[in-house]
Amino acid sequence: MDPATDPPPNGPPIPGGEPSPGGRDDLYAVLGLEPRASREQVERAYRFSLELYREGSLATYSLLDPTEAEQQRLRVREAYEVLGDEERRRAYDEGQGFLPPDAPVLPFPAPSSAASVAELPAVLTGADLRKIREARGLSLRHIAAVTKIGVRFLEYLEEDRFAFLPAPVYLRGFLQEYARLVGIDPRRAADAYMSRLPAKS
Amino acid sequence: MALSVSEVLPVAAPRTRRQIWSIGGGKGGIGKSLLAASVGWQLARMGRRVVLVDADLGGANLHTCLGLPAPPRTLADFIQRRASSIEEVLTDTPAGGLRLISGAADLLSAANIKHLQKVRVMKQVRALDVDVVLIDLGAGTSYNILDFFLLSDVSILAVVPEPTSIENGYRFIKSALYRRLRAAAPTDGIRQLVESALDPKNPYGIRTPLDLLARVDAEDPEAGRALRREVAAFQPRFVVNEVRDVADVAIGHQLVAACGRHLGLRASYAGFVHHDDAVWQAVRRRRLFMSDAPTSRAAEEIRQLTRGLVKGESLGSGY
Repeated sequence: MDPATDPPPNGPPIPGGEPSPGGRDDLYAVLGLEPRASREQVERAYRFSLELYREGSLATYSLLDPTEAEQQRLRVREAYEVLGDEERRRAYDEGQGFLPPDAPVLPFPAPSSAASVAELPAVLTGADLRKIREARGLSLRHIAAVTKIGVRFLEYLEEDRFAFLPAPVYLRGFLQEYARLVGIDPRRAADAYMSRLPAKS
Repeated sequence: MALSVSEVLPVAAPRTRRQIWSIGGGKGGIGKSLLAASVGWQLARMGRRVVLVDADLGGANLHTCLGLPAPPRTLADFIQRRASSIEEVLTDTPAGGLRLISGAADLLSAANIKHLQKVRVMKQVRALDVDVVLIDLGAGTSYNILDFFLLSDVSILAVVPEPTSIENGYRFIKSALYRRLRAAAPTDGIRQLVESALDPKNPYGIRTPLDLLARVDAEDPEAGRALRREVAAFQPRFVVNEVRDVADVAIGHQLVAACGRHLGLRASYAGFVHHDDAVWQAVRRRRLFMSDAPTSRAAEEIRQLTRGLVKGESLGSGY
């Protein structure tokens, strides 16, 4: 009965929906997108967001007062002016360190990028992993799709929720797959992450 | 790691862990009981052993939705200890695999069920030997209703495309989330902060869970992280009932987007059900449309919705 001591798992992971709610405030987030969204997705998300914030919208009128709704419409239009324009979007992505939408996702990116293999620290936290992943412009959903590891587990990894992680033998496999995708040394990354696991009782 | 017996021996069909599903909505008259009855019916059709719990305090009527007379024994008999176990108040339904616990009319109203009684109900509900316990929560945002919603494995929020229902839906979500955060607050100070957030005129200018988290972060970063984990684990699933056109269907996507962008919540859109005369014709005959009009649009949409809920799938992002 006590949600504090007994957090319900709330069922299996949910695909779809908004990416990283409330977590980012870049132009993509304004439109509910991940970086690397396709042109078509940008168009659709723009039209969706205009509808979401239009005057009298059922879904937002009780959450946002008229001034806030107007601000949102303004932000949506500003975001679209950049992201809907190929040139301006490229410049923006570069400034933010996002990969361009057409860049192939390499298993091992060029060594010049952040957190190269050699620089991997001896101890890795979930937050470190997330930083590395975000620097690569990779979404959890993308990683989930490629590795077939549930988004939920990936989130637990990045949130250091050890209690929810699988047995070490599986965890190691997950970590190595994750590491491979974000371009860090799989074995060392798994060691560095698992060094923090509470000792087995 | 040692393998468990079930991993070594061939087993007929892996039984999934028992799950508790609840359907809330904050507002009456949005077809919540029919939704619960039909989803429960469909789960049973899919081979699940299901117990429907009628916790609707506005008026227990799940039995009528299923075409049954008022059952002789209800949850009230269990609560008042006229029945010693919850099994004794189970009622069979015409659908094999689907049983009903009929509601005490005031089961979840805060004044009428004490904490210990609630724990006893919850314990026995959890111990039922079934696959899914599906609770029709009824209207309102009383603590008991929110608690049942919060401890469910699948928390379904039903709305209809009308302003009052959507407003109530948001109120329900915020109340449930704040109750969860309150329980998770590591210190008295943080708990008071969470409580003050419920007051729209609070002195901190906290209007949304995002505001609250920012405030908590400023006071106690450790507590902020703890509360963020609670927020991340809170994942209500919207069902939009009584839709009439494409714009109504789209409201589910908009609700999910609004929850993500302005409340910081990871909600999802489980599905929608069209307004369908076949439903009401069946209701008038005191029959469930799932069996009475299985080819109706609403029945097909319930089947889709239920399959999605079982698999944990939701409708895409809407764009």
